[in-house]
Amino acid sequence: MAIPKKSFIPAPYAFGFHKPDEYIYKSGRGLSEAVIREMSAQKGEPAWMLNFRLKSFGIYQKKQMPFWGPSLADIQFKNLFYYLRPVKSQAESWNELPDAIRDTYDKIGIPEMEKKFLSGVSAQYESEVVYKSIEKTLHEKGVIFTDMDTAVRKYPELVKQYMGKLILPGDNKFAALNSSVWSGGSFIYVPKNVSVGLPLQAYFRINAANMGQFERTLIIADEGSFVHYIEGCTAPIYSTDSLHSAVVEIFVKKGARVRYSTVQNWSTNVFNLVTKRARVEEEGIMEWVDGNIGSKVTMKYPACYLVGKKAHGEVLSIAYAGKGQIQDTGGKMLHLAPETTSRIISKSISSGGGRTSYRGMVHIAHNATGSRSNVVCDALIVDDASRSDTYPKMDIHETQSVMEHEASVSRISDDQLFYLISRGISVNQAASMIVNGFIEPIVKELPLEYAVELNRLMDLEMQGSVG
Amino acid sequence: MSKQPSFTVSHLSVSLPSGKNVITDISMVFESKKTYVIMGPNGSGKSTLANVLMGNTKYTVKGNLYFGSKNITKMKTSDRAKLGIFLAFQSPIAISGVSVTNLLRAAYQELHPDTKKRDIHVHNSVLAARWKSSDMSLSELLETIKKYALFLHIDPMLLTRSIHEGFSGGERKKIEVLQALVLQPKFVIFDEIDTGLDVDALKIVASGIELLQKNGTGCIIITHYQRLLSYLHPDVVSVLKNGIIFKSGGAAVAKQIEKSGYGNT
Repeated sequence: MAIPKKSFIPAPYAFGFHKPDEYIYKSGRGLSEAVIREMSAQKGEPAWMLNFRLKSFGIYQKKQMPFWGPSLADIQFKNLFYYLRPVKSQAESWNELPDAIRDTYDKIGIPEMEKKFLSGVSAQYESEVVYKSIEKTLHEKGVIFTDMDTAVRKYPELVKQYMGKLILPGDNKFAALNSSVWSGGSFIYVPKNVSVGLPLQAYFRINAANMGQFERTLIIADEGSFVHYIEGCTAPIYSTDSLHSAVVEIFVKKGARVRYSTVQNWSTNVFNLVTKRARVEEEGIMEWVDGNIGSKVTMKYPACYLVGKKAHGEVLSIAYAGKGQIQDTGGKMLHLAPETTSRIISKSISSGGGRTSYRGMVHIAHNATGSRSNVVCDALIVDDASRSDTYPKMDIHETQSVMEHEASVSRISDDQLFYLISRGISVNQAASMIVNGFIEPIVKELPLEYAVELNRLMDLEMQGSVG
Repeated sequence: MSKQPSFTVSHLSVSLPSGKNVITDISMVFESKKTYVIMGPNGSGKSTLANVLMGNTKYTVKGNLYFGSKNITKMKTSDRAKLGIFLAFQSPIAISGVSVTNLLRAAYQELHPDTKKRDIHVHNSVLAARWKSSDMSLSELLETIKKYALFLHIDPMLLTRSIHEGFSGGERKKIEVLQALVLQPKFVIFDEIDTGLDVDALKIVASGIELLQKNGTGCIIITHYQRLLSYLHPDVVSVLKNGIIFKSGGAAVAKQIEKSGYGNT
């Protein structure tokens, strides 16, 4: 059965969404030492943080752009605003949002309160009450969960000890940029043997500059502890900032476990360039669950440095690239100690001319005996205009180790579509069932409400893509 | 009770994308609630006929198909399913991440929709995925699936696994019959449902088809062999050879073919 090639209906970002600038403080366009000093002063930061920023800025100026991966030539560094303190960065009221975005919210079926939060109508998501009770429980257990700016003021020793130690400002150009101009992000400390039962979500973190441009997140899970952190949400987030570059550092101490789930759905004008890394000690477990649906270009390769014996790292990732989108994602596993294990499962979908790339690296160091790594990357290509590439790198220095790599590329087959439509299902629904089935092994790892929303979102994205 | 529509094939010719002619000017009438058998050697156009009846667009079709008085020659596959036509596939394809239960759930809602108009603005994600069928609740549907699975000796574990993925030949055929039983179509086209089945599985599949016959479903059984027919008592047996209806008659036709083959008749 032939599938007529119909143009992909883009997600609703095509609609211009501009609102008057209204800021308490706004730096000029472009970045300079003066801008950084001013920003640090506005935040009332201690001298050591200003020095960290300035040192990072020096590195940023010297660093080259990445010589690999998707083109970043369109980023207008000189035209960007690097620090804004908005009065209200988001829409004033629900009615101000473009119909298309409201419509998407309705179709995904997200709850009313959440919609108001997302649209900025209720900046606190009525979460104060909920958060207060969670905060009390967390406080009793000694857990710290706050925004990064507050952490610099209230817990300077912890921040000084860990921030920028795993991802050095000189790691890459965008880590250097983030280190110079970061704002917002989460700080979490979980004491020894404390297990945080509820997932901690960024949007319970009140009064923080939400969904910031250069977020900085630091998580320290002390020995034997557990925490699940959830970042982002499935609903499309409109951003006027065309560059988002976050840095996430996670320290997983002996026997601790951290799960970090992300669902990224930035509007398709955004370059999303993220550095995420975890350091995992003996018998610790780090799990990155990563969903990328939005943005113009995403480059993101969550990493695990497995430094302790029997440490385990996982990356489970889903990427969807529609018209005009490039999702360049993957994972990095560095086996630096004996009997360490890792797993990367990457599922990507490209449609309407979108491009997905799996870019991954597995390094097994000499003396990391008995280590094992398993990498599976599956790509689903919806139509002939779309593309998927795989760039796996294996760097094995220990003969007594096992490395497995499987890759597959598939298409939505005419036979599968015919089978489903012969049961009365429309061709669009059939396509979205196939796509949702394809990503199901990873979606089931997400919290239920995210999984449901992600499935609904895929339904929407697949409307009109076949048939 | 009003007369159920019959399914009519009128002067149907079919050619492959390569241009090769597979079926030449055949006409048949399938009345509701009756059982028809279409036999024929390999390459006689049997599976092509099954696919064309279901609306597979990869073939070029001349002539007409009618459902009752409605001309459905150009009708979309999913709409034919909604009229009550069901195809049990010869080699059903696997679909990762789509379970038997999920497929049946989605299909049942399409085929037995809620006739009452409800215009609810849905905000809640759980409600958004709500059950939309009128005559059966979701839990009743799940019970029905289980009941028929038990009847067909299907391991309940299969129902939540990806459909046909890693299923044995026998399991695939039973899952096809299961879907027909649950979805209650008016006509089922069985494309070589009996190939690759052992004696026990053949009996089970036959009992499934018998149940459909009892429920008033018209059955169009495409097969190489006579062995299924001893269970099913067909009303009409037709022989398709080189793309034309070569012979048509009662059950005796099948017996004759079993005895002397397609070549000598």
